[in-house]
Parts: sequence; C-alpha cells; structure tokens
Amino acid sequence: MTCAEVDTCVQTYVDGELAGVDREGVERHLVGCPACAGRVRLEARFKAAVRAHLPRPAVPAALRLRIEQTLASQPIAPLRWPWLSYPRLVPAAAALVLLVAITGTVRQSQSGLLEQAQRSYRAEMPMDITGSDCGSIASWFRGRLDFSMHAPALGGGATCQGGRLVNVGVHPAAYLIYRNPTGHRVAFLVFDPRDQSLEAPTRRVVNGREIYVDAGPGISTATYRDRGLGYVVTSDIDEDALTRLVTTSFGR
Amino acid sequence: MKRRPLQSDFEREALPHLGALYAAALRMTRNEKDAEDLVQDALLRAYRFFDTFQAGTNCKAWLFRILTNVFCNRYREREREQVVLSEAESSPANLEQFLGGVGTDARDTETALLGQMVSGDVERALAAVPADFRMAVILSDLEDFSYKEIAEIMECPAGTVMSRLFRGRKILQGLLREYALEQGIIREPSATPSKDTNPADAPVDLAAYRRRRGQGEVS
Repeated sequence: MTCAEVDTCVQTYVDGELAGVDREGVERHLVGCPACAGRVRLEARFKAAVRAHLPRPAVPAALRLRIEQTLASQPIAPLRWPWLSYPRLVPAAAALVLLVAITGTVRQSQSGLLEQAQRSYRAEMPMDITGSDCGSIASWFRGRLDFSMHAPALGGGATCQGGRLVNVGVHPAAYLIYRNPTGHRVAFLVFDPRDQSLEAPTRRVVNGREIYVDAGPGISTATYRDRGLGYVVTSDIDEDALTRLVTTSFGR
Repeated sequence: MKRRPLQSDFEREALPHLGALYAAALRMTRNEKDAEDLVQDALLRAYRFFDTFQAGTNCKAWLFRILTNVFCNRYREREREQVVLSEAESSPANLEQFLGGVGTDARDTETALLGQMVSGDVERALAAVPADFRMAVILSDLEDFSYKEIAEIMECPAGTVMSRLFRGRKILQGLLREYALEQGIIREPSATPSKDTNPADAPVDLAAYRRRRGQGEVS
C-alpha cells in the first residue's frame, strides 16, 4: 500500500473495521512508515481522548422513576390484533366508540406504496405549497392531478401544513402534511387507486370500512379507500391513535 | 409458538441500557427536558413492541434504532444545522493541523494537546456537530457500535455511516482546534507545510488499491 492508500483507511483501521488483506496491507505499510504509523496513533489517541472527555451523565432519578411507573401501569407488547375473528371494542377518543372487527393477518409482504409513504415521511420532503388553510392547499392541486381531490377533514384539532405533488407509479398524486395538537406530523398520500393494491400486514374494519394498518416501532401507516380515492397515512403516532385520527375524516 | 414477553424480560434486557440511551439522547437533543422525553418515548415504544425484538439479538442496538427513529421524527432541526455545517466545514482543519500548531517534538505536542482538552470544550464541540454526523460519532466512539450496527440503527448504507463518521470527527477536530486557538493553547501555524492531499471527507475507497493488487502491481 502507498501512503495515500493508507491515508484513506486510517479511521477504518483504528475503528477495527478493516479486515483481511486490506488490514494486512495497512499493517505491513505501518511497519516501515513512521509517518503513517504516527497518524494511526494520533487518530487512536483522539478517539480515546474524546471518549474519556465525554463520560455518561447520570440518569435523573425522576426519569428512572417515571419510566418504571409508566411501564408498570401498561401491559407489555399488547396484542395488536387478535388471531381469532371476533368483534372487539376499542376505547376511542372523544366518546367515539369504534366497532372493530378483526379478520387477522392478511399478508406479510409490504407493498411498494407503503415503502414509498414511509420513505417520504422520513425524508421530510419540502412542500410545494405551505399554509394552514386546507382548502387553498387542495385547490393548488386542481389541474395538477388527474382526479379531483379534497384535503381530508381531520378531527381532533389536526391542522394542514402543506402539500407536494408526487407520483404514485406513473400517475400524479398529492402528498399532504398535517400536524396534530401534540406536534406529530401526519402525512396523507392521496392517489388514484385503480392499479394499486392496498395491502398491509393487518386489516381492520372500522365503521364498516376497511383500513390496512402497518405498525412499526418508528412509524405507523394506515391505508384505505374513500370515495374512489386511495389514501396512505403515515405518522409517528401509534397505530391505534392513527386509526382513530383517520376515522374522524370519514363521512365529513 | 414464540412465548409472549414479560415485563421482567424487558426489565432485564432493556433497562440496563437506560444510561446509554439517556447519554445519547442528551447529546442529541442538547437539553435535559427533551432528552428525558425522548428516552421515555423511545423506551415506551420499545416496551409496546417488545414482542418484535428477537431474543438473543443485540437489544442495545434495537433500542438505539428506536431512539434514533423517534429523534429523527421529532427533533430534527435541519436549517439551523445547515449553517453550522458550512461554517465548520469551511475550516481547513484536520488532525495534523490541529496538533501541528505548536511545539517542536511531535510526541510532546500530542501529549500536551490531547492532555489540554477539556471535557466542557469537547462537549460543546460535539453539540455543534450536525445531527446525522453527531449521531454517527456517538454511536461509534462513545457506544462502540460497529459500522454494520450503526447502518442498521441509522437505516443507511455502511458507506454513508463511514462518511458521516469521518466528517463528524473532522468537524469535531476542527472545532476543538478553534477553541484551542481562542484559548491560546496553540498558535496559528505560521507556515504549515501543506501535505493535506487527502482531506478527511474524501470518499473512503479502497477500490483503487484492490484493483492494483488484482493486477499484481502490489503485493
């Protein structure tokens, strides 16, 4: 190896991530090159010094106590869907009681649509139009989509933030961002569902409508059809809260 | 069928990592209240989804992945960091220059400078590193995760981990050098021989070496 080549992998070497012939190549070079050996030693010392200067702060006792109390008051990993088909009552926000009939796991594979929605959500894409007036955001999309779209009217104090023109497959689609009162972003992907299959690991039937729910530790996704349009809703709230939020837009 | 997890499983597997999670949360959010909220949210999420954790795999990595996810969804302050990034990266510092400003004997210089580093300065410098790079440095240098684990935690390719980590360290070194200059610990080098042919953020690429090795040009 030359000095320049060693130079490109000094940190990788110091991190212990260089293996096999690359590692041997570096080590052979270091034996005969005090300059590179010095660099390696410096990087290693810097890494160790940073670590030594950044000790772990103590966990506040109040935080530990709060976590222990919260955990004790809740069931661990509650069943997110029963395997048996039976009607189940779900406590809902604002005296809204939803009748949820669960029909079990439908399919394990994630559709490209879900991945697209989750990727877009994480990427926090910039908006084409911003503002809190859902009506003017919806009218911005007029003429840009090949279907007519209304911004879903959400209950629970969620407000519009903006919209962006995106594609689902080859067709234009609307991407709308809302914010709920607790500050969570809620993203609606609104598209023409004709050539799209709406699938997610769990199917719920809420108020006679099918909602497909995908729950992960990071973000949850709900997929459904409403008045001829397809919707994929993504947020970092849990799947029950997301289902309730989505349900508030039905029939309004 | 897989046994359903118990609260005692969670207490045994996850809670020992509370200290590491809180330390990372504090350095990511840069304030105690947000750090406490972040850790509490992440741990509660982990608790609710503990059935998706594969027993026997790395619980600490799984928890950090959730923490990172909650952090990214909630606290990312892109624009402010963009400014810090351009300032910090405009400084030409690398480790040799950081250490090369003083002294005659290289060994003494290292010892003096690394010894002069003050925890408060290192903490302040780390806080100024942009979030993605800061997270990579925390995960690697403070929590000893491997590149592969960091890639899974940050949900990005290993190559991205390397460039974030190296740029993060470069920014950190640059800032520490600035503080050392301000405090007179080192002087601006008058005529540092410019031997900086490979800036720290150059693509990390062994491909050229491997190609040459493949052609028998090197042993």
